[in-house]
Amino acid sequence: MKALLIKNFLRSKGLMTGLLIVFVAGLISLNIGKHFLDKNKEIIEKTAHYQQESIARNIEFHPKEIGLLLYYLRFGLVNEMPNLAGLAIGQRDINPSLQSVTIRNLEEQKYATDLMNPMYQMLGNMDFSFVLIYFFPLIIIALCFNLISEEKEEGTWSLVLSQSQNPLKMLIIKILIRFISVLLVIVLLFVIAKFYLDIPFNEAFLAFILNSVLYISFWFALAWLVASFHKNSSQNALILLLSWVALTIVIPAGINAVTVNLYPVPEAFSTVLESRDGYHNKWDEPKEPTVAKFHEHYPQFDQYKHPEGKDYSWLWYYAMQQMGDDEAANDARSFKEKLKKRNTFSSTAGIFFPSIHAQLNLNLLSSSDMDNYLHFLEKLENFHEQKRLYFYPKIFTEATVSSENWKRFGLESYQEKPSIDWIKMLFPVLIMSALCVIWANFKFRKV
Amino acid sequence: MLQATNLTKKYGEQTALNSLNLTIKEGEIFALLGQNGAGKTTTINCFLGFIEPSSGSASINGVSVAENALATKKDIAYIPETVMLYPNLTGIENLAFFSQLAGFKYSDEQLGGFLSKAGLQNTAHTQRLEGYSKGMRQKVGIAIALAKNAKALLLDEPTSGLDPKAANEFSDILRELAKNGTAVLMATHDIFRAREVANRIGIMKEGNLVSVVDAATISANELEKLYLQTV
Repeated sequence: MKALLIKNFLRSKGLMTGLLIVFVAGLISLNIGKHFLDKNKEIIEKTAHYQQESIARNIEFHPKEIGLLLYYLRFGLVNEMPNLAGLAIGQRDINPSLQSVTIRNLEEQKYATDLMNPMYQMLGNMDFSFVLIYFFPLIIIALCFNLISEEKEEGTWSLVLSQSQNPLKMLIIKILIRFISVLLVIVLLFVIAKFYLDIPFNEAFLAFILNSVLYISFWFALAWLVASFHKNSSQNALILLLSWVALTIVIPAGINAVTVNLYPVPEAFSTVLESRDGYHNKWDEPKEPTVAKFHEHYPQFDQYKHPEGKDYSWLWYYAMQQMGDDEAANDARSFKEKLKKRNTFSSTAGIFFPSIHAQLNLNLLSSSDMDNYLHFLEKLENFHEQKRLYFYPKIFTEATVSSENWKRFGLESYQEKPSIDWIKMLFPVLIMSALCVIWANFKFRKV
Repeated sequence: MLQATNLTKKYGEQTALNSLNLTIKEGEIFALLGQNGAGKTTTINCFLGFIEPSSGSASINGVSVAENALATKKDIAYIPETVMLYPNLTGIENLAFFSQLAGFKYSDEQLGGFLSKAGLQNTAHTQRLEGYSKGMRQKVGIAIALAKNAKALLLDEPTSGLDPKAANEFSDILRELAKNGTAVLMATHDIFRAREVANRIGIMKEGNLVSVVDAATISANELEKLYLQTV
């Protein structure tokens, strides 16, 4: 019976075309991922090169004053991107994976990024996670919406019922054949991705695969549940497509709207204002209070004083820059906290919706999620602070430019290893799928 | 073999089948005549277990269908009015599939034998069902019933759509099955074929079995007259 059901399935041109289309979409997504990884690699390589070149050129132009030189010098920090991010680009296409900063005030520099084609940001990338989360369910719906109803509508069901003692067994084999065929497509795509994107087979990749397979299984469980209602084909298609619209579009958009309303971030704007006012206004104010505040922040630099009666000193200049950050510090902190709250909220809400849950998990595993970016920003603050602390005394003592070994200021990098909470990651979808199957079996038994 | 005892099916106010009492013995062919909606298909569906009677019972080989549909299914084969099969499979594959559903594994040779016996030309055996005519599908349906080797055969207007020659061959097959002890219940509109192949003929009207006659004692013309008077 299995062999004949498989034959029947394989000979159905429509279904095979569907599988082929989703496979091709998968290949395209892998290509997009590959481009993304390559571009990122290129940016990093170029930046590493130009950072050295620009330091050397600036030294040539400003060989005397280290304070002036450091006004210009930029130091880059890379947020290392695992190749897995080629499968789930996530936030990586809006938030930079490399940021170069001067030791001047940081707040302004945090959000000064590359120019991007806004079209990409509107539509998002058709990466593998997109194909998985949006396309695969559609193909699953096409494969399964008439699992029983086609038999009824084509007239074969009465003969099946009169022949078979257990028609449910035949249906189970039918859906399993479909499940395995989709699974084969996914596995094939992963094998290609492994070599094409050079993804190391580690825990994150394994978790990525499991998440994908579970997500697919959920849609099969849902289709099985809908089949158990014994409705006609058009009703089944309607129910499944509505579920698709709800799960992949309406609910994510809804949760996003709720998040934005629950946690508004006026700080996004006020941080910039305060930071700007924080230092721009200092030009028109007496120098001493600014320096005094700086000493309050860094008591270790008490010994360096602004020369009395002077209009300008590098100590005052960097103190003034520092005020930009210090005065925006409260808003910056609460901005960050709210972003974290937004994150927590959406990932908690996402537990109940496999589409959201899968997307968040895939991004987390690929280090392309919001958390990763926030951690990177913290790392960047730290990196910036270390540079300041290192250069401040040199600037204040007016050390010579040539006394520093500038060659050692190459790109630095930050690498986050995603922490995988297997239970939180896999259980919600597993439970959701199990509920669908249990409910379906209950319905099947009743008929 | 097939027995209906006060078999009744009501849909709300409407009575589709009213207290039917009928026994069909092994080797007997019973034809049910009647207009559309007279209750012929309802009777067959009760024996198949597709619908549950409102009261009374249908039993096969002494086992009540409503109480033990799984067991009674083994003993019956069924040919619907229009046999629908899987268009992507060949005739022989369809037969193999439905036989496997019923728990039988036949060799290709045996399967071909059933199809040939049902009157399907050899060249069609390995063609996909897409290209089959209604009559050819009907023959595969007959082969499916033959392959099940059941004790009772339920037929819902089986010869509709068959050409006269095929219908004639079908009658032969039914006779042969009956000779080997199969009980046959056949709903039909074909008065002449009914008289020719059946042992007894029942005429139904509005859910009631109005009259039962012995096929041997009545001519086709008389049967037609009786039918027209009854309905």
